[in-house]
Amino acid sequence: MGELIRLEGIVKSFDDNVVLNGIDLSVDENEFVTLLGPSGCGKTTTLRIIAGFEKPDEGRVYFDGKDITDMPANQRPVNTVFQNYALFPHMSVGENIAFSLRVKNKSEKEIRDRVKKALKLVNLKGFENRRIDQLSGGQQQRIAMARAIVNEPRVLLLDEPLGALDLKLRQEMEYELVRLKNELGITFIYITHDQEEALTMSDKVVVMNEGYIQQEGSPQEIYDEPVNAFVADFIGDSNILSGQMVDERVVRIDGVDYPCIDGTEEGFPPRRRVDVVIRPEDIDIVPYGKGLWNGTITSKLFIGVHYEMLVQSEDGKIEWLLQNYDQHDVGEKIGMYVDPENIQIMHKPKSEAESAIEIDL
Amino acid sequence: MKKAIGRIYILIIMLFLYLPILTLIVLSFNDAKSMSVWTGFSLHWYEELFQSRLMMGAIVNTFSIAILAALIATIVGTMAVLGMPALRSRTENVLMGINNIPMLNADIVTGIALMLFFLMIGAPRGYTTILFSHTVFCVPYVVLSVRPRVNKNTNKLYEAALDLGASESYAFRKIVLPELWPGITSGFLLSFTMSVDDFIITYFTRGAGINTISTLIYSEVKIGIRPSLFALSTIIFVVALLVLLIVNIRQDRAERNALADIY
Repeated sequence: MGELIRLEGIVKSFDDNVVLNGIDLSVDENEFVTLLGPSGCGKTTTLRIIAGFEKPDEGRVYFDGKDITDMPANQRPVNTVFQNYALFPHMSVGENIAFSLRVKNKSEKEIRDRVKKALKLVNLKGFENRRIDQLSGGQQQRIAMARAIVNEPRVLLLDEPLGALDLKLRQEMEYELVRLKNELGITFIYITHDQEEALTMSDKVVVMNEGYIQQEGSPQEIYDEPVNAFVADFIGDSNILSGQMVDERVVRIDGVDYPCIDGTEEGFPPRRRVDVVIRPEDIDIVPYGKGLWNGTITSKLFIGVHYEMLVQSEDGKIEWLLQNYDQHDVGEKIGMYVDPENIQIMHKPKSEAESAIEIDL
Repeated sequence: MKKAIGRIYILIIMLFLYLPILTLIVLSFNDAKSMSVWTGFSLHWYEELFQSRLMMGAIVNTFSIAILAALIATIVGTMAVLGMPALRSRTENVLMGINNIPMLNADIVTGIALMLFFLMIGAPRGYTTILFSHTVFCVPYVVLSVRPRVNKNTNKLYEAALDLGASESYAFRKIVLPELWPGITSGFLLSFTMSVDDFIITYFTRGAGINTISTLIYSEVKIGIRPSLFALSTIIFVVALLVLLIVNIRQDRAERNALADIY
């Protein structure tokens, strides 16, 4: 599995508005890569540059080692599933799927066979003669997939393809997409602002904000070891706090010392000011006075699998978010404990790239 | 009782609308030249119409100008609409405002302005100046009827076609044009009727010796109108009626087919 797509130093602006600030990205063959970020982070522009709809102001795009920066969209070996599907409304389902084959002047027989095969792949056998406006949202989504894969592209670009579907259908389609990708054996580049979709399906997640890549890594890495407060906040629920290293592998937050596993070796020497992330499910509730710090439960919500609680720390300065399977009552005084390895120490933003995130928090 | 009143009401409206036309049709078959006395059935006003080079010339002028002006206006207007999204939205708004002016402007002003313009540049007034003027006042209608068909989605569809490997012209012909087609045809038909209908602008921009149906009738009125003009009006009315009927029947059938598809 070699590298298939490489972006080098991509810069793009629209009317003085800088959308991409030097993007470097590498996508391997057969990888499921998700570009994740809030709207306006530059993920769609990145996709459009790969598809050939936008030209970068600076930087190059490589495909299989070849520079394709100046190659027009209709010659690139990639196909796109568009956000609102962009199905051709005046054509039947079959003609929509056959479009790219007709462009290539394939024989009628081959077109019929390949359309049939594509429809089978997306579980919509026998839909050839339906009209587009007769399809449900989920079906349109599948037809858009079928149309994009019928030509057997090496890379499939997906621009928030599940955005318009309801929750249940979306979760169903997530499995479908992964199955499709494995069956086709091609590379997927997927765009979403939904962190759950990103974590569920991807081999690699690329978190973007304000035209910069904030972090890239496997879903586990992104979740467990966010490199900065933006990533931590964007991926899942979290307690993000300001702290200071006070000793080797000890961080002080709001007057309380917490043992952690980061020290000088990891780049966090004593006296360094840091950001700290503690996931709400990593905070254990222990009897009052038996933990690292104490607090009072101020609110409680049952959200399906677990309870979500807000806990006011004893001196009243910090409000902690906790998730726990056990029920505790509002007003109860509790002790709290967190495992040293569940305390994620992060650098304070320094560069322009990282300070961009402060605005969003 | 209520029903009866309703029917009578509709009947009265219909009479007011169509009695004059009916009178015209009846008189076109009248033997005598009289506009009030029926002296017997005859087709000789139709004969006179088809033998009159003046009238036949006016008919040819009217319809050839209408078709050409509508065609040119449709092409120019559609291209303008397609180019607009590339403009900044403020420029686009200003442009649309300018586009609307000729429609709101009184025809007489447009007509005199065009006449002065032709005099100033020294263009000999005749067929070409009429055609030019008609094209000018038709373009805004085309822009107005095509523009609603162009939206964000049109561009998305065009991009989707390119993404699937289509060349730019193929994507335009197979995807963009069918999307715009209803707007283009209605723009064309609107332009065609506006052009056939026009009198004032034609009157000011034509030269001596060239007539369209409307200017011909106007000049005939001054010397005494001939029933052959009734014959001409009857033919135009019948043709318009037939076209309307065909369009409606076809639409009806298409709707029924669409319903049958769903159920």
